[in-house]
Amino acid sequence: MKMIATAAALLAASFAALPASAADLVLYTSQPNEDAQATVDGFMAANPSIKVDWVRDGTPKIIAKLQAEMEAGSPAADVLLIADTVTLERLKEAGKLMAYKSPEASHYDPALYDADGYYYSTKLITTGIVYNTAATMKPASWQDLAKPEAKGLVVMPSPLASGAALIHAQTLAGVPSLGWDFYKSLAANGAIAAGGNGQVLKSVASGEKAYGMIVDYMPIREKAKGAPLAFVFPKEGVSAVTEPVAILSSAKHADAAKAFVDYVLSEKGQAGFVKLGYIPARNGVAMPEGFPARETIKVLPLNAPAAVKNTDQDLKTFSSFFGAK
Amino acid sequence: MSEYLRRGNSQPAWLFPFVVLVVLILSALPLARLAITGVAALMRGGAYALVTDPSLWQSTWYTLETAVIGTVISLVIGCLFAFLLGLTDLPGKGALSFLFVLPMMIPPQVTALAWVQMSGPSSPLLKALHIAPPLGSPQPLYSVGGIALLYGVQHAPLVYLALRAGLMALPRDGVEAARLSGAGGWRVFRDITLPLSLPGIMAGAAIAFVSSIGNFGIPAILGIPASIFTLSTLIFTKFSAFGPRTFGDVAVLSSIIAIISILGLAVQNRALRGRDYRLIGLSGATAAFVLGRWRLVVLPLLWGLIFIMLVAPFLALVAGALVPAYGVPLSLKTASLHAFDEILFHQSVTRVAFANSLFLASATAFGLLALTVLAAYVLTKRKDLASRLVAGLIEIPYSLPGIIIAVCFILVFATPLPLINVTLYGTIWIILLAYFSAYFSVSLKPVMSAFLQLDPALEEAARLSGAGFFRRLIDIIVPLIAPAAGASVILVFLIACNELTVSALLWSAGTQTLGVVIYNLDDGGSADLASAMSVLVVAMVVVLMLLLELIAHRLPKGVVPWRS
Repeated sequence: MKMIATAAALLAASFAALPASAADLVLYTSQPNEDAQATVDGFMAANPSIKVDWVRDGTPKIIAKLQAEMEAGSPAADVLLIADTVTLERLKEAGKLMAYKSPEASHYDPALYDADGYYYSTKLITTGIVYNTAATMKPASWQDLAKPEAKGLVVMPSPLASGAALIHAQTLAGVPSLGWDFYKSLAANGAIAAGGNGQVLKSVASGEKAYGMIVDYMPIREKAKGAPLAFVFPKEGVSAVTEPVAILSSAKHADAAKAFVDYVLSEKGQAGFVKLGYIPARNGVAMPEGFPARETIKVLPLNAPAAVKNTDQDLKTFSSFFGAK
Repeated sequence: MSEYLRRGNSQPAWLFPFVVLVVLILSALPLARLAITGVAALMRGGAYALVTDPSLWQSTWYTLETAVIGTVISLVIGCLFAFLLGLTDLPGKGALSFLFVLPMMIPPQVTALAWVQMSGPSSPLLKALHIAPPLGSPQPLYSVGGIALLYGVQHAPLVYLALRAGLMALPRDGVEAARLSGAGGWRVFRDITLPLSLPGIMAGAAIAFVSSIGNFGIPAILGIPASIFTLSTLIFTKFSAFGPRTFGDVAVLSSIIAIISILGLAVQNRALRGRDYRLIGLSGATAAFVLGRWRLVVLPLLWGLIFIMLVAPFLALVAGALVPAYGVPLSLKTASLHAFDEILFHQSVTRVAFANSLFLASATAFGLLALTVLAAYVLTKRKDLASRLVAGLIEIPYSLPGIIIAVCFILVFATPLPLINVTLYGTIWIILLAYFSAYFSVSLKPVMSAFLQLDPALEEAARLSGAGFFRRLIDIIVPLIAPAAGASVILVFLIACNELTVSALLWSAGTQTLGVVIYNLDDGGSADLASAMSVLVVAMVVVLMLLLELIAHRLPKGVVPWRS
């Protein structure tokens, strides 16, 4: 009898521990967990009456989640903060986004946000080369990764798990000296593409691989904590994603969503990102520690409309080189 | 057996329809919905391209290969521990048993992470022994062998628990009779114990095989970096690239997995067919074999296995949680509690995940027990086609990767329920229902094998004396199958508490589970946070198991599986 009572008490206790989920805003983001928590904390400190529930996953996966929910007719998210504008452009064309003209937009380069207000870039995240400090060859350009010294030692994130990785592949494919042949030569040199940027970080930091393609803030942050890593902005240039924010047309909490957009674009929001180690998108905000001056970073151009159209084909091309089907 | 059964007499009329209804809602409806969606999507084109894709058959082969080898490994380890700890006079059995069951508590992806950290070029363990491989060496675990090995380690406790439930029911009579006739220890084991424990072994093998086929966490960590895809990671990858063909492709892949699982079930049935395993006697009396000098060999072997399977990976995990950044060598100077601080005091998701997982696991375990006792009762009494179909339907969801179950339930329950007009999607209840569906067969197996050993005479005597159905259930049947019921509850709780794949697609803001949080943390590059969370999960489980240990003396013998 006592056992049943104990069991029932345990059950009731765990029932009572259920959080009362009355969120005032639901955010879907691809930022790493600590950064997403810090962003949400900053927003809630500036807007104490709004409680935020957030969901984190790699961009392709969080979009898949969103699409599955939309297909079933009950999307839960109000606002998106994901890796790249190409994905949001596709959502905009499908009519899934809500336009909002934020007053903060005047402080941004017009190229960084959608003219009708469907999405706004919040940061500048470049993809460059990370290497383990124990490696003998120190790479300085993308072509260095295809050299014999790097055979079997290169890892990169898969476009199936990372939005930045897809944009990176599409950007490099458009560079005359690199193109898809560069990726073919990488695959022939034993490079693997798996998981997201987090996997690349672990792989190179642990020494399993010596070289990796990765987003800038991760290795710069970890190096400051003592990890045996070094980050390089390669000679040919870097690709960039801008982690845009957008409101969904099916949002249930539109006002809170607009407040969130205003916050991440405001000075306070941008200062929060700088503290986390991201390059801010807003004009006149200083660079974070560990980065070279903004003018010295050569950002390669991306043909955005072509990228939207060719995404499926590009994914197939990439997969055919790296065996991921 | 059929001449004893007169339809409608020994069972209440509502029982079979009730079981059928439950199974329909939990298994048939979601699967049918997926099949319809898949067929519709396939008819729009792409069926030929999918079936002739070599990667499909390659991953099917990998799935079978790793599952079979993994099952063999877990059978060897699990049976070794079950027989030695259940039947002999080894000292320290309680501690060994407790520690052996522990690896099952650790989510599979964490096990994989811990082993990878233990064996990579930057492993502190290997560095301390000066045998660390040089920079750039391939990780030996990123291979078919590595995946199979971890399947074996992960599922050995499942075999152990399933077999132990069967061993608990072996009465002393047969062994004592053999001894009195002059049989030695090995003869007794071979002729009496082993044949009678066959249902338990088969049940364990079946669970291990089916778990290996549907496992996601281990092949995700170990297989993907080496481009080795099993069917479950292939499905996840396809779903991650959500497109118009996704549901069609996923439906075909799911049916392959379903076919493999049905074949596995058929093999198990075949092995048990035509034999009678019924015994009379109270369960819980165990026969003890005296080991004598063999103790000196066996004891270090068992403790050695425990060290490799549990202690070393756990130490690697703790090391991973204490480093300030991944790749920094751990020393007294560099050790930092930052990860624990962030997890416990900053990440809001931690408390939510613990509450959710505990609630889901206990609600699933106890809810399923009620359902499986009824279902097992019905399925062992009826041997007609309808009950075989029902048994098959129950079996299928567990063998499918959790991803499929999740997709099925999204399709069925995303729109508001008719009449009540309540949407289950995005709430914790859809995860609960999906768990019910996925773990029904896990809960059923130990209970079924116990029911198979019940002689109907006792129950019929009660019926003749005028006892009604529920009276018979409570007074005769439940006490006799109590060890199996307890094992079933604990098994389901263990698995549900740290599962990842089902909740990977069903979770939403506020309904994250522990497995999801750990995977997301690692996936997002916060390996130290993932390790810290894993350490907390293991600590929680140890505390729960210790609590069980404390109240164990009030429970009937054999309910707490690791106690003799």
